[in-house]
Amino acid sequence: MTNFNWLLDGSIVGLYLLATMVAGLMVRKYVGKVEHFLVAGREMDVYLGIASLAATEFGIVTCMYTAQNGYEKGFAGATPGILMAAAMLVVGLTGFVIKPLRDSGVMTIPELFEKKFGPRIRWAAGVVIVLGGLLNMGVFLRTGGQFLVLVAGLDVRYLEIMMTALLLGVAVYTILGGMLSVLVTDFLQFVVMSVGLILVTILILMNVGWENMVNTVEARYGAGGFNPFINPTMGWQYVVFNLMLNTAAVLTWQTIIARVLAAKDTNTGRKVYTRTSFFFVCRFLIPGIWGIAALASLGPVTNTLEAMPHYLSTAVPAGLMGILVAAMLAADMSTDSSYMLTWCSVIYNDILAPFRKRPWSERKGLFWNRTIIALIGIFLLLYGLWYPLKGDLWTYLGVTGTIYLASISMLLIACCYWNRANSWGAAASIFISAVIPITYLVMEQLPSTAETARTIGPYYSGIATYLLSGAAMVVGSLLKPQSGVGSRKELA
Amino acid sequence: MPRHWFWWTLTAACVVWYSTITVYVAIKGAADIKNMLARLSATKAREDAEENTDAV
Repeated sequence: MTNFNWLLDGSIVGLYLLATMVAGLMVRKYVGKVEHFLVAGREMDVYLGIASLAATEFGIVTCMYTAQNGYEKGFAGATPGILMAAAMLVVGLTGFVIKPLRDSGVMTIPELFEKKFGPRIRWAAGVVIVLGGLLNMGVFLRTGGQFLVLVAGLDVRYLEIMMTALLLGVAVYTILGGMLSVLVTDFLQFVVMSVGLILVTILILMNVGWENMVNTVEARYGAGGFNPFINPTMGWQYVVFNLMLNTAAVLTWQTIIARVLAAKDTNTGRKVYTRTSFFFVCRFLIPGIWGIAALASLGPVTNTLEAMPHYLSTAVPAGLMGILVAAMLAADMSTDSSYMLTWCSVIYNDILAPFRKRPWSERKGLFWNRTIIALIGIFLLLYGLWYPLKGDLWTYLGVTGTIYLASISMLLIACCYWNRANSWGAAASIFISAVIPITYLVMEQLPSTAETARTIGPYYSGIATYLLSGAAMVVGSLLKPQSGVGSRKELA
Repeated sequence: MPRHWFWWTLTAACVVWYSTITVYVAIKGAADIKNMLARLSATKAREDAEENTDAV
């Protein structure tokens, strides 16, 4: 049973979808060049940047894993959000890495690497960025479909159809309007998503009550439900891994960095970071509260990922349910469109770079960008259908994200601030950073090694990846004969 | 002050900050879109004019 009313709530959702498609398609006439398509002609201002960054970084998948964190870990589950907000604030205030990156005028991070490490490293960096990013994004669709099916009370058999329809809608306006469509629809989606999130949170706080939620967490997890350091499923290794992961994400996650690169100048990019930072606390805590409310209302369940949507399907009344579903659709569509576009930008700009001996015409460039987005969409559909998710979702995202976050963050810091850094160190860092998480993921899937993977755990393997990747950069760079350094080109 | 004041304060701050920022960004962001599209139109018109001049 669900409170979703097809006439009332369905109309709200239909109206939202119509408005988004119209807004997304209307701006396609402004796209005349690849630069318009990939970075909106670098005309983005602060508030549009805040709306776009917030909408992009909050999808249904975010809502699901942060609610799962709340359900499984209590309030302590919001720790990654606090760490990310702190990292974002510090980076925004100091301009660490993002200032030299934006000042260089590049469209992607690997493009900057070419200036310091050469074209091969640019290409390799592009490959790991796309590999990590697409594996990460591979679970978005299924999780989004799962939420919508549960909340709207649809038959699970419709999950694949829901996933396909969701992706098709997003792909149409992203393919036609690129970053311009993404920015305009993100703005609309930010407003719809925020209204839904705030209203549902207030409703939950009023209905379930703060005391009830605190008592539930205390009874279930004790002091560990409020303090990550003494939570048996978290501990110092969870906090350290998440600190490294979130700092690296703030510096190099392509969808976040895309806002800095699309900003009209460096100061605008820094302001977007500073003023959006607290949103990352909300991003973890608000759905975390929903997860805790599900724990207080439903008690123990077998599938913790589905606890929150199950709870919302009966706790949210008709009318508000339409706003909730529209909000979640908005959250998901803005995330999917931005992610498809940013991975496309790396494939076009960096991986295909060696094939463009002579510059392509703007027309040909736009054609290839649009084709790449369509191919990413097809990959997402296929991957989302067959990959069986094991363990908690946030950890899966952390491990797949680490494939590129560890090395690319080391490369970027070294590129901006260490003169001695060179291609040997960069290659070693990329290799180490890709091998450890991929080995861990494979070990987790194979029955013969699953137990070993469980013993090591994702946090220790994650910490090792960041440390060894940094060490590889230093050792590799120092091993290369000094003559190579002389030919290094200075950054812009 | 309620029990677990840290989480209570953080939750209250989230609700208040997020509500305020949504209204503020909704107003200012709409102006940003308008200005961005105006700048892009102006750039396109200038480039078209330059192309026509070159062609002549």
